[in-house]
Amino acid sequence: MARFEQFLLPDPGEGLTEADVVAWHVAVGDEVAVNQNIVEVETAKSLVELPSPFAGVVAEILVPEGRTVEVGTPLISIDTDPSAGPADPPAEQPAADDAPAEGASVSPQGEGVTGDDSSGAVLVGYGTQDAGAGRRPRRTTPTAAPASMSGPSAASPGPSSAPATSAASPGAPSSAPSPATPGSVRALAKPPVRKLAKELGVDLDSVTPTGPGGIVTREDVVAHSKAAQPRALATYPGDDQPWLASGSVSPDGRQTRVPVKSVRKRTAEAMVSSAFTAPHVTVFHTIDVTKAMRLVARLKEDREFADLRVTPLLIVAKALLLAVHRHPEINASWDDDAREIVYKHYVNLGIAAATPRGLVVPNIKDAHRMTLKELAEALTQLTLTARAGKTSPSELSDGTITITNVGAFGIDTGTPILNPGEAAILAFGAVREQPWVHKGKIKKRQVTQLALSFDHRLVDGELGSRVLADVAKILEDPSQFMVWA
Amino acid sequence: MTQHGPLADDGLVQLLTPSGERVEHPEYTPRTSHLDGAALRAMYRDMVLVRAFDTEATALQRQGELGLWAPCLGQEAAQIGSAHALAKHDYVFPSYREHGVLLSRGLDMARVLRLFRGVDHGGWDPTEHNTHLYTLVIGSHALHATGYAMAVQRDGLVGTGDPGRDTAVVAYFGDGATAQGDTNEALVFAAVNNAPVVFFCQNNQWAISEPTTHQARVPLAQRGPGFGIPSVRVDGNDVLASYAVTAEALERARSGGGPTFIEAFTYRMGAHTTSDDPTKYRSAAEEEFWRQRDPIDRLRAYLVAAGELTAEHTAEIDTAAQELAEHVRRETKALGRPETTSMFDHVYASEHQLVAAEREWLTQFEDSFAPAGGA
Amino acid sequence: MAVVERLTVAKAINNGLRRALETDPKVVLMGEDIGKLGGVFRVTEGLQKDFGAERVVDSPLAESGIVGTAIGMAMRGYRPVCEIQFDGFVFPAFDQITTQLAKMHYRSGGALTVPVVIRIPYGGGIGAVEHHSESPEALFAHTAGLRVVSPATPQDAYTMIQAAIASPDPVIFFEPKGRYWEKGDVDLTAGPDDDAVAGLGLARTVRTGQDVTIAAYGPTVATALKAAETAATEGTSVEVIDLRSISPLDSATVTASVRRTRRLVVVHEAPVFFGAGAELAARVTEECFYHLEAPVLRVGGFHTPYPVAKIEHDYLPGLDRVLDAVDRVLAH
Repeated sequence: MARFEQFLLPDPGEGLTEADVVAWHVAVGDEVAVNQNIVEVETAKSLVELPSPFAGVVAEILVPEGRTVEVGTPLISIDTDPSAGPADPPAEQPAADDAPAEGASVSPQGEGVTGDDSSGAVLVGYGTQDAGAGRRPRRTTPTAAPASMSGPSAASPGPSSAPATSAASPGAPSSAPSPATPGSVRALAKPPVRKLAKELGVDLDSVTPTGPGGIVTREDVVAHSKAAQPRALATYPGDDQPWLASGSVSPDGRQTRVPVKSVRKRTAEAMVSSAFTAPHVTVFHTIDVTKAMRLVARLKEDREFADLRVTPLLIVAKALLLAVHRHPEINASWDDDAREIVYKHYVNLGIAAATPRGLVVPNIKDAHRMTLKELAEALTQLTLTARAGKTSPSELSDGTITITNVGAFGIDTGTPILNPGEAAILAFGAVREQPWVHKGKIKKRQVTQLALSFDHRLVDGELGSRVLADVAKILEDPSQFMVWA
Repeated sequence: MTQHGPLADDGLVQLLTPSGERVEHPEYTPRTSHLDGAALRAMYRDMVLVRAFDTEATALQRQGELGLWAPCLGQEAAQIGSAHALAKHDYVFPSYREHGVLLSRGLDMARVLRLFRGVDHGGWDPTEHNTHLYTLVIGSHALHATGYAMAVQRDGLVGTGDPGRDTAVVAYFGDGATAQGDTNEALVFAAVNNAPVVFFCQNNQWAISEPTTHQARVPLAQRGPGFGIPSVRVDGNDVLASYAVTAEALERARSGGGPTFIEAFTYRMGAHTTSDDPTKYRSAAEEEFWRQRDPIDRLRAYLVAAGELTAEHTAEIDTAAQELAEHVRRETKALGRPETTSMFDHVYASEHQLVAAEREWLTQFEDSFAPAGGA
Repeated sequence: MAVVERLTVAKAINNGLRRALETDPKVVLMGEDIGKLGGVFRVTEGLQKDFGAERVVDSPLAESGIVGTAIGMAMRGYRPVCEIQFDGFVFPAFDQITTQLAKMHYRSGGALTVPVVIRIPYGGGIGAVEHHSESPEALFAHTAGLRVVSPATPQDAYTMIQAAIASPDPVIFFEPKGRYWEKGDVDLTAGPDDDAVAGLGLARTVRTGQDVTIAAYGPTVATALKAAETAATEGTSVEVIDLRSISPLDSATVTASVRRTRRLVVVHEAPVFFGAGAELAARVTEECFYHLEAPVLRVGGFHTPYPVAKIEHDYLPGLDRVLDAVDRVLAH
């Protein structure tokens, strides 16, 4: 059966890319032997005779004389097994019988595998190799693509060394950096991130890294920086506006709908959670606070308190703290999940504050330890911060008992709702000059109302009343402080 | 053709004329008198075989099976004549065209093509036939040969009188190499050390496109004496004369007489390599002139006339030549692409971290690609 | 039991060569003026007298010839140790070194080994004329197939010359001529055991520290140590690594150090431009990218031919330039 082999134009010398076919020495039907010169071609360098790689019968001349063709172009087709041809005798193969007449010649530079390729898809000749259409596709199931061309730090000292290292270099994105040597806790970060940390004043070593292998990323630094800053209460866009401003007026102009967001949302949630969980009981007491008001006036003149705001609220706070000191069981919370009552060893005194955005209850940490002056400072600061809307979440959390100063609005008293997580809240009403029985006679005295709401799950009426009574007693006669503190 | 200077062809040692007649030479004829018909046929056979090999290799290159080929066409007598004087334990340092020497030394000629195929920088183990690899830097190996000879001296294998032990080294190079510094330094070292090395220079008259007149003003053989090295100029197309002068030089070396410089005046009948086009720098007339002095023709004429080459002999030799050609063709076409990672083999003789690491890297890199095709 | 003598670098090498000549009859020394004169630096003093002119050879004045014949001798089983008289004169032999010596094992598919050692006094600071103060080690390190090493101390000179001779690979052995006359303790029982041969490619930490690492080799190791001492008085803790080998380059020891100190300075006499420091800096940057708190700085010669003797100390990396680099990496 006929077997046709094509002879492709080889690179006749060191990188030439094309040649002109000058003269054919054979014609269709001629017998050719291996290495018989069959065509003369002209290259940029010289005139070259090309010998046939095959023995057989010329089947077709593929490139006519005078044509210029590129390296790799088929020149001639030779039937190397013409035995089936009707008229022709089997061609004698004197020299080349055992030359396995493969497809095109396998070039050492080409992609053909040893001796088996008959697809014709091999490159013939040397010189500029066809680089291929584009990038090779990678495997879909990834093997560890080697990360570093420069090779890993082959750390094998000593004669037993087979350089036993993985090619994946430490520090590359696809693999984790080597763990820091024991004893070193210094951060890993790339130069731009280090620069950023420096600019933001972030200590890299204190940042929690989330990058592979414990690398501190840019995001880590930014997040750390933000967390350290006091956060504005508002976290929604448009939070700076009075919350009504975020409402939309109905088409008929008779209603404004305002989405429940931000502080309003949180307040609502807190109220609901508190009011419908803790059974609230409120006890009331009306008291003569003339002496306390005189104390306030005297403190205002006191040089020590010169730079501070001294208000009746300060004295009420101090009084409550002392009452809590005498009745620590009120400084607790009901842990429903654990079925436990948690008594706090500290007093974080919450002060309900009305701000443009709504009600917030920041607390003064460890108020029980503070001197009057410190308490005054804390109150001042707290108020300023709250009004500026800069109260941080940590200041809002972990309160243990709260005072709400309804008197600031001229209200006598109320039934305050507990701050969630607390067991008592004291409402301090307005101070008014009122007729009072003082030393047996009707006199004009400074009078106010106190109200204490408490969580009846853990605070009985007796406890709540006693606490309120203590507060009242101190306010009626501040010198009681000397006796109880 | 009358030439002057380094291309002068007078005064050459000759034992066989271009037409195949024996001529007598008082010094050198005795060195060939022991060569009987068998010995001469053996030389003839090697010359025919190497020419067939050379022709096949040239064709393979033209067919794209080799990137390059450096033909030895026309230089068969110089190479085979000199090689036949060598003992097995002598050591040879060829340049890159001494295919005839390699064949005489017993190498599998298919090995020689590996270099030109681009799959090997060497191709054979030099210690197997005491024949070094081809050196492509011109003249460089002349120093290696001299150093090797200096080692032979230190081995005490010079002047023992025992032909099985006394060892000589031969460095083959061309006319162009005589201009190179290293070649000249080799002559210096060989001379001052009295090293057992023979410098066999085949003046084939062309270094690519430059005639020998560009490498020297005087015949190359005059270099030797300048270094204190005895020198002889021989007809390089005369296999008997080439044999004789080499035999003398080898004897000198082995006996402790030191180096010899042999200039074999021959002709490069083919191109420098298959990338070269001699029509650009020399005349067809010159090539024809030297075709008339073909080294194989003259030996054949002599042997036939002497009745030492019968039709049977010729048939056997032609068959052998054909088989050799087929053998190298087959072996060469079967040479596939080496494994990619083989490029990292033998960079160092001992463990080397960087080479190992880069090998590993490339292995993984290649592994990261989807297999080609679907096979 | 150790036998310790206080020797100069030159004498230490002399002792190492002597020991190699004693141990292996195939060792042959070759070079200009190494025999009768004992070498222009006296490194081979006394050896020809004891081992003969066949083993300690006064060569013709031909560097290429010296190396080329050494290759031939090595091919026949000898272990030649060539001396190139001065660094600036190695270039005639550059062809033999790079095209032949470096590639013979590779070219022969492993059939041939060429265990040639080429000793080259190198570096400056000796007030010499042109071509006598070069540091061409990068040119050789860039050639695969060669090992390129440089001892900094007498002890290392003693063991490393023996290890180089014992190695089956060609070794370019750079001897810091500016330090030839510095003395140090040498344990003469140390020899070319397997550790030393494998260790020929390894660096050594010669001073530990916390704040910055200085890597150096050859003549600049002493400079680095001096810088470390000075820095200590200023409150900076410097770790010094003696690379000992340029090819292979023990970047593992350096990267382990940099992961702790976070800062690296490389010091060599050779020009900074395309010098060994560039290779080390690239590798360390790649492998310690997330550890580095400052870029790797290199201190070395300038991109000029080696200058005249009168101003060579302004060219060479001295204490001020090294400490300046230390300051700059700390300032980052």
